[in-house]
Amino acid sequence: MKAADFSYHEAVNLQDAINIKAQDDEAVILAGGQSLLPALNMRLSSPTCLIDISKISGLNEIKIEEHTLFIGALATHSDVMSNKTVKDNMPYMIDILKMVAHPAIRNKGTHGGSIAYGDPAAELPALAVATNAEIIVSGQNGDRSINAKDFYLGLFETTINQDEIVVGIKYPLLKQGQNIVFDEVCRRHGDYAMAGLIANVMGSKNDIKDLKLVFFATGDKPDVADKTAELYLDNGYDYDKLKNSLSSEIDFAGDLNSSSEMKLHLATVLIKKVLSKLEI
Amino acid sequence: MAANNSVNISFTVNGERFNNINVPSRQHLADYLRSQGFTGTHLGCEQGACGACTIEMDGKAVRSCLVLASQANGTNLKTVEGFDDEMMEKVKQNFLKHNAFQCGFCSPGMLMTTKEILLNKKKLTRDEIRSEISGNYCRCTGYQSIVDAIEECINEIN
Amino acid sequence: MDDIKVNQNPKLGSLDRPNSYIGRSLPRENAKKHLDGGGQFVDDLTLPRMVHVAFLRSPFAHAEIKSINTNDAKKSDGVIDIFTAKEIDEVCKPWIGTLGHLGEMRSPEQTPLAKKIARWQGEPVAVVIADSRAQAEDALELIEVDWVEKEAQVNMETALDSNAVIIHPELGNNLFWTRTVNQGDVEKAFKEADAIVETTLDFARHTGVTLESRGIVADWNKAENKMTIYHNGQAPHMMQHIIAKHLDLNEGLVRIVSRDVGGSFGIKVHVYPDEMAVTAISKKIGRPVKFIADRLESFTTDIHARCHKISGKLGVDKNGKILAMEIDDLSGIGPFSMYPRTSAIETNQVLNLSGAPYVIPNYKAVGTVVFQNKTPMCQYRAVGHPIAVAITEALIDKAAYKINMDIDKIRKINFIPDNAYPNKCPSGVPLEDLSHEASMDKLLEIMDIKEIEAQKEEDLKKGVLTGHGVISMCEVTNPSPLFYGVGGAHISSQDGASIRLEGSGAIHLSSSITEQGQGTEAIMKQIAADQLGVEMESVRVTLGDTDATPYGGGTWASRGAGIGGEAVLKAARKLKDNILNIAAAIMQTDKDTLDIEDNNVIRKNGGEGISLKKLAETVYYRGHELPKGTNAELLATASFLIEGIPFVFTNSAMGCQVSIDQDTGIIKINKFWAVEDCGTQINPKLVEEQIRGGVIQGIGGALFEECVYDDQGNMQNATMADYLVPMAYEMPDIIVDHVTTNSGRSIIGAKGAGEAGTGGAPAVIMNAINNALKQVNAEVVSQPITPEKILKALGKI
Ligand SMILES: Cc1cc2nc3c(=O)[nH]c(=O)nc-3n(C[C@H](O)[C@H](O)[C@H](O)COP(=O)(O)OP(=O)(O)OC[C@H]3O[C@@H](n4cnc5c(N)ncnc54)[C@H](O)[C@@H]3O)c2cc1C
Ligand code: FES
Ligand code: FES
Repeated sequence: MKAADFSYHEAVNLQDAINIKAQDDEAVILAGGQSLLPALNMRLSSPTCLIDISKISGLNEIKIEEHTLFIGALATHSDVMSNKTVKDNMPYMIDILKMVAHPAIRNKGTHGGSIAYGDPAAELPALAVATNAEIIVSGQNGDRSINAKDFYLGLFETTINQDEIVVGIKYPLLKQGQNIVFDEVCRRHGDYAMAGLIANVMGSKNDIKDLKLVFFATGDKPDVADKTAELYLDNGYDYDKLKNSLSSEIDFAGDLNSSSEMKLHLATVLIKKVLSKLEI
Repeated sequence: MAANNSVNISFTVNGERFNNINVPSRQHLADYLRSQGFTGTHLGCEQGACGACTIEMDGKAVRSCLVLASQANGTNLKTVEGFDDEMMEKVKQNFLKHNAFQCGFCSPGMLMTTKEILLNKKKLTRDEIRSEISGNYCRCTGYQSIVDAIEECINEIN
Repeated sequence: MDDIKVNQNPKLGSLDRPNSYIGRSLPRENAKKHLDGGGQFVDDLTLPRMVHVAFLRSPFAHAEIKSINTNDAKKSDGVIDIFTAKEIDEVCKPWIGTLGHLGEMRSPEQTPLAKKIARWQGEPVAVVIADSRAQAEDALELIEVDWVEKEAQVNMETALDSNAVIIHPELGNNLFWTRTVNQGDVEKAFKEADAIVETTLDFARHTGVTLESRGIVADWNKAENKMTIYHNGQAPHMMQHIIAKHLDLNEGLVRIVSRDVGGSFGIKVHVYPDEMAVTAISKKIGRPVKFIADRLESFTTDIHARCHKISGKLGVDKNGKILAMEIDDLSGIGPFSMYPRTSAIETNQVLNLSGAPYVIPNYKAVGTVVFQNKTPMCQYRAVGHPIAVAITEALIDKAAYKINMDIDKIRKINFIPDNAYPNKCPSGVPLEDLSHEASMDKLLEIMDIKEIEAQKEEDLKKGVLTGHGVISMCEVTNPSPLFYGVGGAHISSQDGASIRLEGSGAIHLSSSITEQGQGTEAIMKQIAADQLGVEMESVRVTLGDTDATPYGGGTWASRGAGIGGEAVLKAARKLKDNILNIAAAIMQTDKDTLDIEDNNVIRKNGGEGISLKKLAETVYYRGHELPKGTNAELLATASFLIEGIPFVFTNSAMGCQVSIDQDTGIIKINKFWAVEDCGTQINPKLVEEQIRGGVIQGIGGALFEECVYDDQGNMQNATMADYLVPMAYEMPDIIVDHVTTNSGRSIIGAKGAGEAGTGGAPAVIMNAINNALKQVNAEVVSQPITPEKILKALGKI
């Protein structure tokens, strides 16, 4: 299929993009295009106007800023994976991105695009929630910083306003003793997962002091399972108990490759798989 | 219905300049290139899933079905027709030697993916090669011969 | 390049002589164009004044079309016209997908566009003709159709129930075709059996997913009354006949050109309504018309395959000897039987081929084929084989487990012995020149079963379920006229080759076989150069053009090398004979003292020869120098067809080892082995690549691929992101080896090799998985075997 007709604007700077977006209710941001173009090509979406922000300079910056790692919205997945600051400060980010799609898609797909799109099966939104990241958006009224857990409302639904654009994400740097461990179960390498888990852990394998579990590809947004995490801290790995807890905490939504029961099961075993990656 | 939107852009394809040309806003780059006779760029899905349309844009592999022609403004593009440097000639010889293609429909995309693997200059295991090409669909070969060819290219380079 | 020596066929001479190309793994130099972006696929073609089409397709599996309003759509930018069934039917006659030789088949008339009722989601209903595909799609959105959705018959298992929705009321019920095979006395034999095992297997629908989708450019030239069709099909002469017949054209003035084809696997050998409509449109508007299916159209309108539920029963005595086998197969084929091959063949093959490697004195098989409101189903790579092989081999493993016998042993004691051919399948189909015993021996040798069994125990200690399987099978190749022609289909089972020496000394060869990437052109060149005694580079090949090649069947049913190759061999030998006669006349010597080597006629006993170039120059430019009456024909043609038996069978043995993650249900194929006996291998590397590609397609069906439908008959995963094709990371390396038993039906001795991989892999994968699961008393019986099915079998969900 071929996309329906639309007008195309190459934004010269951020303000330009914000202005057009504010004026036109139906205008849609085009960043890396790796999620938007499939939808356009299949006529699943037919906006009247695209605002291409990909040429705006400065929006792909990656830097350390007050105990956080800031990743500019336009940094592509490949940019992030090959960035030294990321490698030195957030090495696990690189391994997580290896699970995102395939090299040629990562060469175009942007960090901000993935965060803004809010695909419940995507890795980065879950990572942002798990690490307590702040999402920085810019609009007619200036900048806002939104905590990731408040950013995602539902299926592809975020708190972002029509005139706002994601400009970057601030990930708090890990403290001493803090670890990010993760895994996902896919039918094929690079596919969106049947279920995935990112765990933010304080402590070591045999002595976990604090635990945050964030699942993806399970419900309609990154799913935080605090009660289940607590249960794990109290009881260790008990499949039945954790499964029960997860089923009450998360509204599992089945898809083509895995039913909700399957996702519940995978989410449960992922707790074991993921936490076994911790060092003793 | 109103006339279709279009934009004026410039870029180069395989070193050839396209100056101030008019393209429909909605046309993806693969369709534009094909319309100009660069028919080596193939379309298999138009949604990023098959890799047949993979070309080089400013030195990096991209899916040309997921880039608008208008987004190519100011870029340097290379399609399979332009893969004629020494390294790529070697790659082609290895593809030929291992019969790393049957119908050849996936080959332009596979070659681009191979090119990017080689430019990264890393020594890869067979499993890692499989991981790198896991976004390129080939219905004919079953992949083993492609892995063989890429493995040989990597060995030659390192 | 490696030179893999095959067990040479004495009729072909030794590998040591000059220009001995048959049996060598030579690279396909002719195909290098694909690496330079120089392929010529249908979509690469642009003709002056060419227009594009987009089809309005039924969004429902079953619906009445009350009315279609195209007024607004016709005003849309770039639109040239919009047609519905009424306009197309004025130029294209309907067809019926039945044949006469397999008992009663009932399928109604089908037209390019649905008339009053649409019967599958994706059936074409109207077509927009516009300056560009995008503009045609814009207009589609403006067509208003008054649909009345009807209840759909989606499930094949309820299609014959009394309360089923009858898809074609004029037929009274949803039965398309049924057949029973009964050899010996099954009931009596089961009574005598010491052990009886039973199983029921499910095979989901899947489809071909050729990377290049179906495409056609039809170009009606009114001035010449000629229709030229550029088409990515497999059987140009069949299409020529069909288009002439249904569009009422002079068949001689229909030209089909099939240049490069981006994979076919049987998908592109059928007559599709949308392609017929495109041809009709060109005839109507007098302009070239292009249609390239997009991926959504591919998934919902390319033929699907499989869709079987089969139950089987096997009885053995206490020594493991098979006494009887019984199967009952049900298949759903969508709302129409495909034209012209019909949709009965897959089931027919299941009945013919089940149990084929084994001596099974008592055999009963029932096949039932029903209509349903889904995409039409028809022949796809390894037609019926995956089902026949999987049911046979699953039952044999079960029997082995039941009587505590090794899985290889039970097979060996039941094989039709290698020295007992000619013989017959349990169904009665004749077999010859097969080697199940030798192939299994070779397989076990390369697999190292002892090592595999040791690893299984090790893995179990670690909580990993590892298992292995071995299977044997027969592959139908090189069909004779008894396949289709006898039933009334105009599908040639004969193929031709034409070869000439040109004035420049170059050899030109043309063949009715077509190329879709298998290496047809390369092996034809090898045969011609080998038999003539010339350098490969001096042979040029033309394929895929009804105006330029001999008449013949084309490429399907693994017939290119065995039938088309034999025609090339015969033509080359004739030309060589002609050349030597002419040379003898020029050189004033006895023909028997001459031979051709490296493009020169040589004297076997030494002395000066003459180059083919010189000889050709003499013949063409200075014919007066030849002795009077010399028959100076530098052109030879030959044809070949298989006579006396329905098919030339190939056999294979396959083995694999898999591991299962008990937590996630993910299956990993650790290793895969295949031993193939396809007779003479013209190019061993190309044979191996056919096996490998075929195995991977079989693994696709076994583990990943499925056309998922909801209860209303809507396909849920009609995109490349959602329909899971095998990608590189999950696929194993495949070790291929050979046993060579030449076919006695031809000089070349080659059988086919294109489909065994796809036919056998599903069975061996399933057996290996069940071998692993058996350790925890679990079993899977439904393909694709997904992680979810594994976890269900393990009782985890
Ligand atoms: C075959 C394939 C496989 C993939 N597999 C995965 C996978 O496994 N995991 C995964 O996470 N992703 C996957 N992706 C998606 C990929 O990661 C995308 O790049 C990413 O989701 C979106 O980034 P983008 O820059 O391409 O966004 P675009 O496609 O440009 O935009 C996506 C949406 O976000 C909006 N948007 C983009 N940027 C901004 C911004 N700065 N501010 C506000 N709104 C914005 C757009 O308006 C649009 O609605 C896959 C894609 C493909 C084609
Ligand atoms: S056509 Fe672009 S990825 Fe398939
Ligand atoms: S060679 Fe045909 S798709 Fe790869």
